[in-house]
Amino acid sequence: MREEKLEKLLNELADATAEPVPPHLAEDIKHQIPQQLSPHRGGLDTVNIIVDLRISKLTAAAAIIVTMVLFANFFGGQSPADGGIYQNGKLLVKYCLGGILADRSNVLAAKSRYEYLAQTGKDVMYYGDSVDPRDSNAVLIQWKLSDGGYRVVFGDLREEIVSAEELIRLQARMLQKKAK
Amino acid sequence: MEYSDSSDKSEQRCSSLAARLRAGNRAAAVELVDIYYEQIYVFFRRLGHSCQVSEDLTQESFLAAWQHIGQLRSGKTLNSWMYRIAGNVSKLYWRGHKDSKAVSIEGFDVPDGSEPECDKTGNSEQVGRLKNAVAGLPIKLRQAVVLHYMQHLTIAEAAEAAGVGQGTFKSRLNRALKTLRGRIISEDGELL
Repeated sequence: MREEKLEKLLNELADATAEPVPPHLAEDIKHQIPQQLSPHRGGLDTVNIIVDLRISKLTAAAAIIVTMVLFANFFGGQSPADGGIYQNGKLLVKYCLGGILADRSNVLAAKSRYEYLAQTGKDVMYYGDSVDPRDSNAVLIQWKLSDGGYRVVFGDLREEIVSAEELIRLQARMLQKKAK
Repeated sequence: MEYSDSSDKSEQRCSSLAARLRAGNRAAAVELVDIYYEQIYVFFRRLGHSCQVSEDLTQESFLAAWQHIGQLRSGKTLNSWMYRIAGNVSKLYWRGHKDSKAVSIEGFDVPDGSEPECDKTGNSEQVGRLKNAVAGLPIKLRQAVVLHYMQHLTIAEAAEAAGVGQGTFKSRLNRALKTLRGRIISEDGELL
């Protein structure tokens, strides 16, 4: 009985507190309706990511290559050391960039690869800091293969497997060029 | 039978409205405003916000609704969705204005110029006491009472609007009623 009376009183209180709404309120709210309502603007299942990222072409190229190398590594297929996606990345960078930018981007790409190879425990050497980036025959990185040969990445990101003697010859050529 | 028909029509209307809102239809947004702006404004007033604050919070609620339109699942949840947004807007306001609690109780007055229905039935004293008792409830309990008894949401809708399970909501409601009974009970044990 008490329960019912209290509920009845609450209903009466609801009537007593139903007051007129400011007349302009509806119009004010309607004016604020966006021209385009997008169901994906927010929600538990959506995340708004707005990034105004300004980076140089060189950095962008390096980021693209590192991403590709990582993708190649994570998703199997071809090993980063074997080329494949890496080569595609190289072509993409060459396509996107031109001239000296492309040469420098090659050095950056080689450096990214060197860091990756070093992390994987390979006995790898990097010469990118001391070579002329425009020299397509300069050795950027080299590492020893299990069969005794060496894989060499040149300034134009071309790769070759060379013997120890051939590698010495290439390095000597680099030193001569530097001395000049 | 007639009730069932009108209920079906209302459900269909809500489903259609929700579908159009999800599709980004601006006319549906206007319709939503027409349906809810009064309810939401009065909801804020009943929660204890002043007229000006209630006005601002009503506008904020609709702005939040446009931003979270992707969360609207179906017409059945339209009511609770709208009240949940309003409840969150109110909660945020109180979080940022902790000193405004006293004002909110004063703001819970019967509006000037409109004689309450209760006066006609001679219950004004009881309703007046109840008004003060409701205004003195903790926010969560007050919200439960307002949603269910004053905004007339079903237990399921009100629980969803409050962001809790039905069991929790019923428990809050029981605690609120118990507190109210304790505050408005007379010396001889009768409700005043």
